[in-house]
Amino acid sequence: MVIYSFYIFDRHTECIYSKLWLPPSAAAAAAPATPATANIVTGDGAGSVTLAPRGGPHNTDRRSVKVKASDDAKLIFGTVFSLRNMVRKLGGDDDAFISYRTGQYKLHYYETASSLRFVMLTDTTTLSMRSVLHQIYINLWVEYVVKNPLAPVEHKGGDGVKNELFELGLDQFVRGLM
Amino acid sequence: MTVFALIIINKAGGLIYNKTFYEAGLNKISTNDYLVLAGTFHGVHAITSRLNPVKNPANRASASAGGMLTRPDPPSGLEVLESENFRLQCFTTLTGVKFLLFTDTTQANVDQTIRRVYDMYSDYVMKNPFYQLEMPIRCDMYDRKLLSYIREINNR
Repeated sequence: MVIYSFYIFDRHTECIYSKLWLPPSAAAAAAPATPATANIVTGDGAGSVTLAPRGGPHNTDRRSVKVKASDDAKLIFGTVFSLRNMVRKLGGDDDAFISYRTGQYKLHYYETASSLRFVMLTDTTTLSMRSVLHQIYINLWVEYVVKNPLAPVEHKGGDGVKNELFELGLDQFVRGLM
Repeated sequence: MTVFALIIINKAGGLIYNKTFYEAGLNKISTNDYLVLAGTFHGVHAITSRLNPVKNPANRASASAGGMLTRPDPPSGLEVLESENFRLQCFTTLTGVKFLLFTDTTQANVDQTIRRVYDMYSDYVMKNPFYQLEMPIRCDMYDRKLLSYIREINNR
């Protein structure tokens, strides 16, 4: 099982957290001397985007990588939003969109009652990751973000999500699965 | 084991065929909503093929084992969508026509079913001299053959 990336969207359709776990071959091709994890929190503007792997000879590529990542998040939200509405129209209001698969990857979706949306991209052979996304919500999001007294109510631009415990917990949890 | 419905979308995203086989499977929606759904799906399908997280490195050795130059397969769009109440299988032909088959979540061998539906499309629609390309499919023969084939599956 390979997990490619993970996104959280809030109820205002904004991407408040995103994390990529690049496969070793792609990471090696993109940046030879940097760790395999690129960590991106996308905001509403281009300026609030940060990328973890710094330095290296590929500084010129970083800008395009950043733009690509925030564009991807928007495309993913659009896709997920359309498919969710389609599913609810055809399957009734109690129906829920679970996942879709293409020839190259599989996208898993989980929505909480507060319309927080968790999206995960994995390889095509992975079975349903709905319970995993639910676990992330319960054990990481609620514990480290919601119960954090310093975290704001609305996570505009990813405020309060990108804290050390959540990051570490998520990374360990996902690496444990792979 | 039930096949709920079939939708055929032409290469421009227009709805050209729409048939329900099992009434209790999906919600009833108006013809207009079906047209919107077909257009939406066409767009989403194009986006999903662009979202490929596995990047092909540009300098990847294109020579395979036999020294033949090979081109990687173009990224495919959405193939299977799963929800709590149904499963949607999408088959895109080389000419860009999309066959969407809605089944229940436990249906097996949908690949073969959808292939057979495509075979029948090529036999009874494309070989019909009165059928105009890209236009809604109104072929009695296709309707009849499709219905008897799907009924056979649903009664299995």
